[in-house]
Amino acid sequence: MSNAQPPKPSNATALRDDTVLRRVRHLGSARRGLGEWRLQRWTALALIPLGLYFVASMLALATSDQATAAAWLGAPVPALLTILFLVAVLVHAVVGVRSVLDDYVHHRPRLVAADLLVRAIAFVLAAAGVLAVLKLFLGR
Amino acid sequence: MERPLSPFMFPVWYRFQITSALSIVHRITGIGLALGSILLTWWLVAVAAGGDVFATTHAFIASPIGILLLFLWSIAFFYHLCSGIRHLAWDAGYGFELRHAYRSGYAVIAATALLTVLTWLYVFFA
Repeated sequence: MSNAQPPKPSNATALRDDTVLRRVRHLGSARRGLGEWRLQRWTALALIPLGLYFVASMLALATSDQATAAAWLGAPVPALLTILFLVAVLVHAVVGVRSVLDDYVHHRPRLVAADLLVRAIAFVLAAAGVLAVLKLFLGR
Repeated sequence: MERPLSPFMFPVWYRFQITSALSIVHRITGIGLALGSILLTWWLVAVAAGGDVFATTHAFIASPIGILLLFLWSIAFFYHLCSGIRHLAWDAGYGFELRHAYRSGYAVIAATALLTVLTWLYVFFA
């Protein structure tokens, strides 16, 4: 056991799978965040086509009557893409709002409370929106 | 540690730069769009609920405040979309040269204005 090798120094960066900083004590934790960083970029990519699709659809729907909007939301492709859009928006928003809170809320308990509140709101919005679209889709 | 922290760096510690202004606006529009997701979900629920709920929601959206919010959200959406694509390019390692960062920044402003104007021309004339 006496000839156990010390861990090799790594030049890995936060953009790769491991970080140097996560082993640094008292100079920032860097134990988490990479997963959220990636989630932010994946949802950003997904939201380019989904967002354009949704906004283009809304141009025709924003001032339409309930029957027209319900018929559109109940159709399979708009229903699916609307659910994907809403979920991607909320995931993207939770990560984004958290990163803003990280910068501006320096009181740890307040930061945790605000983050939990944002996640809870996003969770309720996602559930409500998905339920609404499912109702229109299944009730056709 | 008594160093300046991020909320008030921009006006106090830094001179004005278009790049940092665009970065702040990316965040502000992001927060605005996150708030907009509440109205978006409300509208989805209202369509599913129908009746009075939809009538109330529809009246709000068609009111001057509703139209103003939609207008602001359209600017926020197009800005955050264009600026987000700029950020994705940086994440992929492109466009870091200062003159490229400035050029892409002005392109984001121009694209946002163009997309917003085209959208509202379509709304009012199509």
